[in-house]
Amino acid sequence: MSLAMASSAARPALSPAAVRLLLGIAVLILWEALPRLGLVPQLFLPALSQTLAALVGSAAEYGAHLLHTLRAIGIAMLVACGLGIGLGLLIGSVAPLRRTLQPLASGLYAVPIVILYPLFTAWFGIGPQSKIVFASVYGMLPCLLGTMAGIQTIDRQYLTVARSMRASRWQVIGRVLLPAAMPTVLSAFRVGGALVIVGVVVAEMLTSSEGIGYLISRYRTLLDSPHVFAGILLVVLLVVLFGALVQQVERRTAHWRFSTRSGEAG
Amino acid sequence: MSTMARGTTAGSPASASAVPRSEAKAPLRIVASAPGAVSVAGVSHTYDVSGRVTKALDEIDLAIAPGRFVVIVGPSGCGKSSLLMMMTGLTKPTAGTIVCGGRPMTEPDPDVVGVVFQEASLYPWLTAQDNVEFPLSLRRVPKAERAARAREKLALVGLQGFEDRYPHELSGGMKQRVSIARGLVQNPSILMLDEPFAALDEQTRITMGDELLRIWAETGKTVVFVTHSLSEAAYLADEIVVMSARPGRIIDRIEVALPRPRTYEMMSTPHFAELRERIWRQIRHQVSEG
Ligand SMILES: Nc1ncnc2c1ncn2[C@@H]1O[C@H](COP(=O)(O)OP(=O)(O)OP(=O)(O)O)[C@@H](O)[C@H]1O
Ligand SMILES: [Mg+2]
Repeated sequence: MSLAMASSAARPALSPAAVRLLLGIAVLILWEALPRLGLVPQLFLPALSQTLAALVGSAAEYGAHLLHTLRAIGIAMLVACGLGIGLGLLIGSVAPLRRTLQPLASGLYAVPIVILYPLFTAWFGIGPQSKIVFASVYGMLPCLLGTMAGIQTIDRQYLTVARSMRASRWQVIGRVLLPAAMPTVLSAFRVGGALVIVGVVVAEMLTSSEGIGYLISRYRTLLDSPHVFAGILLVVLLVVLFGALVQQVERRTAHWRFSTRSGEAG
Repeated sequence: MSTMARGTTAGSPASASAVPRSEAKAPLRIVASAPGAVSVAGVSHTYDVSGRVTKALDEIDLAIAPGRFVVIVGPSGCGKSSLLMMMTGLTKPTAGTIVCGGRPMTEPDPDVVGVVFQEASLYPWLTAQDNVEFPLSLRRVPKAERAARAREKLALVGLQGFEDRYPHELSGGMKQRVSIARGLVQNPSILMLDEPFAALDEQTRITMGDELLRIWAETGKTVVFVTHSLSEAAYLADEIVVMSARPGRIIDRIEVALPRPRTYEMMSTPHFAELRERIWRQIRHQVSEG
């Protein structure tokens, strides 16, 4: 033990990725150990193995509901990002529109839209429509705000150059504004997309008859903790997967943003 | 990387602009319609930013014959960039007309005038090759053709083998080479540059000056070049246009009698020192007046 400590102190500190991995493993071990040792009541926290057993045991049920959830997330994400980024580009590049609408959008973003959910169910029923609309609105705002902000921070010189090459308005938007704003748009999408997932699941928990959120909420009323946690685990996995996906896209499309501006002497 | 200045008698034909200042207005029409000719007539400009009025340019007349290398110098803020922006069609002057290669420059026309800016002008999300292809792709030139044309221009500026580099992987000098390649990719007969080497260190700056002279000699373009540097002006130019402090007027036009190709050694000749002094005297006078 002391030997290991000494050698790790001699080498440079563990990489952040390794630390994250260790933390994750520690959480899983605690998740298994704490309930088993009786330190936490099983009703509050069923052991990891129990949770996994519940997940595997009801795999068909979880699978079917997961499909509903994924479908809603997919549609809502398309709407949220499509509208958010599209409107963001438009509003961000037209100064009078931006001055009028930006404060409105940021004001709206500060309102916890969940409180409006009962309205959504009244308007769209308790079927998938209401949760899709709700999650779309919920996730759209950060996409919209992020894209607008991204466009405002673009170097004006990029636009002058585009004009000197006689780019049309649409070419400027699609070939200059959008790629230049891409890094900001993607980080906005990271937040907006996560909110879409949260929005769908929360909507399912509140009023719905299908989806992972619905399962979590139903098993909670049955006091079946392993099944509740199995659902939660699925949602966490979903969010983590989404984050990893966005990161991949960022690596591919926005690599230039993360590299230094200065090159070698020449 | 730098090929030595090759040009021998780079096209500086007996020019219409060698006329004395007082007569500069008259013979504009003679050259105005030739490709590569630049004619600025009676151009004044006043900026009006929500009531704050700035008179930037006052009655500028300037005729440049095809193939000439003309350098514009003047005190900071005298309107050099403004004038260049108007000559490229990026800004409309409040009065006067500008004709480049026979076309009134009411809007940018990259087939007539290629533009190179000081910095931050390459798109960082595109490779060198794609940056140079960009203007062609806006006109929907077929992929194979624009790739070939961009490669050819990158080779012209000495950047073979760097096609796939992103701007952040290039040095400052290399980035400006890419900008020049992009400015030339539509084969305009005129190239206009606004302090293109101002952000570079002195060594790179001298190398880039030589490179630009070589490219100019090889292509026979008309070049209009704005700079702060007196040495750069004297080293590069056929003719130096000196502007007054704001509102910018043309107060002197100096023919540079140094032979071509220019060499570094010429910088220590008496004629070079005289040129520098003549420019500096005028600019200093302007600054102390202002
Ligand atoms: N877009 C603009 N709006 C208002 N005023 C402007 C604008 N562009 C330039 N000016 C003003 O016009 C004058 C000339 O500016 P310009 O940039 O053309 O000068 P310059 O000779 O290029 O200066 P420098 O040597 O510092 O580059 C300056 O007083 C400047 O403040
Ligand atoms: Mg300037």
